[in-house]
Amino acid sequence: MKFARVGAAIAAAAIVVAACGGTANSGKTVKVGITLPLSGSSLASAGPARDGALLAIKEANAAGTVKGYTIEPVIKDHAVNGQYDAQQGAKDMTALVSDPAVVAVVGPFNSAVAKVQIPISNEAGLAQCSPANTNPDLTKGDAGKELRAKQPDKINYVRVATTDDIQGPAVAQYAFQDLGLKNVAIIDDLTVYGKGIADAFTAEFEKLGGKVVGREGADPKTTDFLPILTKFKDLNPDSVFYGGVTANGGGLVRKQMPQAGLGDLPYLGGDGIQDQNGGVQGSFINIAGPAAENSFSSVAAIHDIPDAAAFAEKYTAEYKADPGAYSASGYACMQIFIKALADAAAKGDITREAVRAGVTSGASFDTVLGPVTFDEVGDTSQKIISLYKTDMTAADGKGDWIFDKQIDYGAS
Amino acid sequence: MTAPAASADAPSARSFSSAGLVSVAQLAIVAVLLAGALLWMGPQQFVNALTLGAIYALIAIGYTLVYGIIELINFAHGDVFMVGTFLSLIFLTTLGFNGAITEPGLLALVLAGDFIFTMIALGLIGVLIERVAYRPLRNAPRLAPLITAIGVSFILQNAVQGVPPYFGFGPFNANSPQVFPTDWFVTLGNASIPVLSLFIIVTAVVMMIALQLFIGRTRIGRAMRSTALDRDAAALMGVNINRTIAITFLLGSALAGAAGVTFGLQYGVTNSGLGFNAGLKAFTAAVLGGIGNTVGAALGGFIIGFIEVGAAVAGLNRWSAAIVFGVLVIVLVFRPSGILGQQTGERA
Amino acid sequence: MSVIQDVKTSAPAPGIRDRVRGFAGRHRSTTIIVMMALIGIVLPILAAFPPFTLFQTQIGWIDGFTNAGVFVLLAIGLNIVVGVAGLLDLGYAAFFAIGSYTYAYVASPFGNSILGIDVAATFGDAVGVVFWPMLIVGAFVAAVFGILLGAPTLRLRGDYLAIVTLGFGEIVPIVFREASTVTNGINGIGGVYRPWLPGVGTFSGVDPMPYYVTTVALVAIVLVFAYRLVESRIGRAWEAIREDELAAAANGINTVSTKLLAFALGASTAGIAGVLNTAKLTVVSPDQFTFTISFTVLAMVVLGGMGNFWGVAIGAFVIYTINNVILHSLNEFFHGLGVPVLQDIDFIQLQFLLYGIALVGMMLVRPEGLFPNSRRKRELHQAIDEPGEDENTLSEVTEEGGR
Repeated sequence: MKFARVGAAIAAAAIVVAACGGTANSGKTVKVGITLPLSGSSLASAGPARDGALLAIKEANAAGTVKGYTIEPVIKDHAVNGQYDAQQGAKDMTALVSDPAVVAVVGPFNSAVAKVQIPISNEAGLAQCSPANTNPDLTKGDAGKELRAKQPDKINYVRVATTDDIQGPAVAQYAFQDLGLKNVAIIDDLTVYGKGIADAFTAEFEKLGGKVVGREGADPKTTDFLPILTKFKDLNPDSVFYGGVTANGGGLVRKQMPQAGLGDLPYLGGDGIQDQNGGVQGSFINIAGPAAENSFSSVAAIHDIPDAAAFAEKYTAEYKADPGAYSASGYACMQIFIKALADAAAKGDITREAVRAGVTSGASFDTVLGPVTFDEVGDTSQKIISLYKTDMTAADGKGDWIFDKQIDYGAS
Repeated sequence: MTAPAASADAPSARSFSSAGLVSVAQLAIVAVLLAGALLWMGPQQFVNALTLGAIYALIAIGYTLVYGIIELINFAHGDVFMVGTFLSLIFLTTLGFNGAITEPGLLALVLAGDFIFTMIALGLIGVLIERVAYRPLRNAPRLAPLITAIGVSFILQNAVQGVPPYFGFGPFNANSPQVFPTDWFVTLGNASIPVLSLFIIVTAVVMMIALQLFIGRTRIGRAMRSTALDRDAAALMGVNINRTIAITFLLGSALAGAAGVTFGLQYGVTNSGLGFNAGLKAFTAAVLGGIGNTVGAALGGFIIGFIEVGAAVAGLNRWSAAIVFGVLVIVLVFRPSGILGQQTGERA
Repeated sequence: MSVIQDVKTSAPAPGIRDRVRGFAGRHRSTTIIVMMALIGIVLPILAAFPPFTLFQTQIGWIDGFTNAGVFVLLAIGLNIVVGVAGLLDLGYAAFFAIGSYTYAYVASPFGNSILGIDVAATFGDAVGVVFWPMLIVGAFVAAVFGILLGAPTLRLRGDYLAIVTLGFGEIVPIVFREASTVTNGINGIGGVYRPWLPGVGTFSGVDPMPYYVTTVALVAIVLVFAYRLVESRIGRAWEAIREDELAAAANGINTVSTKLLAFALGASTAGIAGVLNTAKLTVVSPDQFTFTISFTVLAMVVLGGMGNFWGVAIGAFVIYTINNVILHSLNEFFHGLGVPVLQDIDFIQLQFLLYGIALVGMMLVRPEGLFPNSRRKRELHQAIDEPGEDENTLSEVTEEGGR
């Protein structure tokens, strides 16, 4: 076993060397890091973001977008035991920072990792773009400043997803105004994301005049939600909101609602339960089964991306799979960096500072998500929340999320 | 010789006590507690607690059987249960049953087949694990088999995960067919009790009684008890120790298989990472009841079911795991050998 | 110790090797410090050359070595509890958490607001100087919790102790998660100050070298303490309890307080590791202290060689490096290759398969671990190699030993 592994490592090393020799063109090489949780159960959601970013690099290299340079991705996986790991994330960021050829980083996926990575990338002045972080504390207010303690004025972390303090209220408004729901019962999965979005939902829903009749938290490892749901039944809610992700129980709660006699109530959630169609193992609709009917979810990003069909087509051609929820976001992050790299290359030399300044200059970037600019703390100007509803007849009867509407909060 | 003295001083955890030892006073206490719980949480939550408790109890018995006979905390047992959920899933989907079966005759047939297949297959897996990972270490210090148990647990998880597009289920949630209709209810006052829950509770209780009878009344059961009491003396009396221990693993794993089937029916989902948490709770149940004692394990399982559901009823679900372990610590401080465990005298 | 004495008596004319061993035996502390200094210097140099540079940059390696050092500290601490005193602790991560939070309370704006102090105002730019005394405070606080947990539970038999510690390991993160008014809940405490040292200034998040040197020094100090303790009267008492608690008690050892001391010292080492790790990550949150950490550290102790501090330290280092560097590199490499099957294999998942096989295989073939403690090895081999004769006595003795 051990020898086989050593052998594999040597073979791997040999191929890396050969590959480098083969693909190097006349120009110089510039590296962009990709730091995501890419193994175990994290792979399903973060893998498509990586693939989106890699696709953008491949296209830019083929087209020679960054004149005189070839972009080389440096992929770092910070999942340990199949779960994102903050310590490993910090180590990967330190490693990326230490490589002078790395001028920008795409990632991370989870807010807990962003919290340890931002102080490091900020100190190094290395531009970082997250395709998926939605926790407001990463950029805004005192919490955001705390993370940028070293260089408070040099914004280096940006994100293309909008924040939960917009997403949660958006779902609340949708529930109250569009669906006419007044008494909601809430379960969260006790994680930073789940609790955060449930809190944001609660605040807005109560402000609108709705009533939160019950609020419980359930451990991500639990499979038995019947006690909570049975309790909710006595509180007579007209809907159930789940703050959390499918893997932590988002689908299971829905599946068990009929068993608790709550099957006919609408079910609401954020982007944590918005995943692939019912034919994909482990997706919300797949787990909830027929009970998934009458469920609503959101995505903290634009739905009507300008060229959705074209993007899906080239993504599928490359990876033989449909784009995931964050493929376009990963692609957009990389597009933004490629633009900044091209500008820097045109002006002279590509440096970290040139890339960072380019990304956060307030300029508008033309991305697959539409035009994107970043505000004074690095949040995207594109504050659009898309809302979805399940349709069990879609995807050849397997069920899928159907786009309902999108709300733009950018204007206000 | 030191042997008689040694065995006289360490029998406590090694003997399987039988139900006959439960006194009238103890039964009365249990009855009062149950009545109180029923009044407080209402019939529907009461049934929820019994259902959850029944599944924990079935797994906990496996821990306690193995501990009783070879004093090993079989950390892989939770994962054995997890494999059971997948065996049941494979059985049902292979036969093409993906949804509820409303025709009672067919349902009974499918369920019987599912239980028999899963329990036998998993029992054999349990025996295999014992043969490969534990038997060679039978006389080693106890930390050694404990570590192999952790290793076996990793191996089982990976075996189920496999390499997804080719074989295995990956690290994701997988749907287990709920062949028992989840929309059958018995109405009791204003509460509607799922028939499935009643089925699970009755099945579990029947199996526990059968196990007690098996241990108490059969020849093999007697061999198990004598091996637990004093392995060497039993061997001298002609008991085949290896076979008896293998049968113990067979029984424990088969019950975990039954738990796996009921779990799939109740929750309709399984996951290769399921074993850890389920095993942890079941192990806690076994210790709470007094490890080595099968009645204690069942009792512990139900107690944990009631604590978890009670936490939800009280609005403390966020603290659920902390309450379970808090109760465990408190019970052990006052009764160091668990609720039904015999006290260990000078070693306490 | 015993090995060295054997060598000395059996070889009247010692060669150079024996002389070195003899010196090492007589000057244990000096040897540890010299060895750690050597290792500390050699590792970063090695990391600058192939094949190491094929995996990641030298800085990346040094940062990885620092993280590995945290696990080495944890493994050394757990070795006192499990390897030397024979008490099975399955909730060791709880003490790691307590050390981490202790530092975060004293060295962050949020923590200060809870405690009603303001270290930033007191020390200004040099606020990170609190790191140094906090190493001791963190160790102390963790030890106090170790005693609080141990006092009522250490009289339990070994297996019950295992489940109680396991429960404690689950309870502690839940308390940090749910007592949100004083712990900031699941979001954890951020903005923790990095250490400060005269001449170095505040440690940098970009350059791991100061952290690395600190970690190497801490490992050396903890190793010296651990060896001194184990070779003292207390160490012999621990071993006596491990091998036969009744006999130890009969010989006048206060078993409860001796076990409690092992528990407290093990906890305090985890506390030190927690302070160091938090000072490096600058964030502490309840989800960092999962059961996986307790199990990983236990596996490090077992694979490295229970009872032998150098062994567990090397075991921890090797396992960490394989887990967190080599398998990840293989994953990244094969996934980038685009070959079907190979790119679908998840080496991180495979890591656990290999891990499982290694644990089972190690116990079957070499239960004493890679670098065994000589006495522990004899115990284990006695029990396994001669099961036939006098089995009762032996199995009773070893069972006691495990408790």
